[in-house]
Amino acid sequence: MNSNSEPTAYNNRLGLKGWIYAGKYTFERYLYLGHRLSGMGLIAYMVLHIIETANRMRGVEAWEGLMALFASWPFKIIEYLLFAAAVFHALNGVRLLLTELGFFLGRPKEPVYPYSSSIKRHRPLTYIVMTLAGLIIILGGSSLFFP
Amino acid sequence: MRETRLWSLHLLVIPIIAVLLGLHFAVMHYAPVFYGVSVEEARNFETMIERGRSVAQLVLYILLLAAGLYHGLYGLRGILRELPLTPALAKFVDGGILLFGLFIFALGAYVTWWTFSYKIGG
Repeated sequence: MNSNSEPTAYNNRLGLKGWIYAGKYTFERYLYLGHRLSGMGLIAYMVLHIIETANRMRGVEAWEGLMALFASWPFKIIEYLLFAAAVFHALNGVRLLLTELGFFLGRPKEPVYPYSSSIKRHRPLTYIVMTLAGLIIILGGSSLFFP
Repeated sequence: MRETRLWSLHLLVIPIIAVLLGLHFAVMHYAPVFYGVSVEEARNFETMIERGRSVAQLVLYILLLAAGLYHGLYGLRGILRELPLTPALAKFVDGGILLFGLFIFALGAYVTWWTFSYKIGG
């Protein structure tokens, strides 16, 4: 028996494997996977970015050398992937926030056939948010690569 | 109650991250679009120091650092805590993430302060 102050070991039988496949998946489940992967990528990048920007304390040459490296094509692509991950994570996060606060889910209903689940009622928002994310990612890419 | 507070804080920092990260992207990655200067110019050592010497930049960057690290590391903690951990290991994960977050925050804050207090030509 756990008290509130003790950490809980969840009965998560599938563990990390459950991320890859845990049954019949819907579009939202892939967004969940994308949200986690982009989130982990962003926090890993943020930590590296903080360490890397500390390089400025080594002086002008060290800083300029690092910036020249970042201006190369492989780093431009990484920078774009970072931007895409941030946009996807942010907009999917807005969708999750709205869902958690109960918006766009419709009123609870009797489960009468043909069923209309809250996920289905919520799906137009999902499509709108993801289309917006796609547009911003394309626009961001065009500005980054063809300024 | 503690978990509710931590979760709420992770949601409350979202607007801070959205605005400040948007600004950071605009200044550092999309300078040609928003400010009409090349990326190279925006990332030039003198320009970076000049920007970093403003009080607004000092405050906003430390805020972004705190908000971003908290949101990201809270998310990472949630992912790790979903795994079948023993209570002892879960406590270790909590403590490890907290210490790591404090260390990275201290480093980032120090670099921001260093930039703020940098004396040009000195």
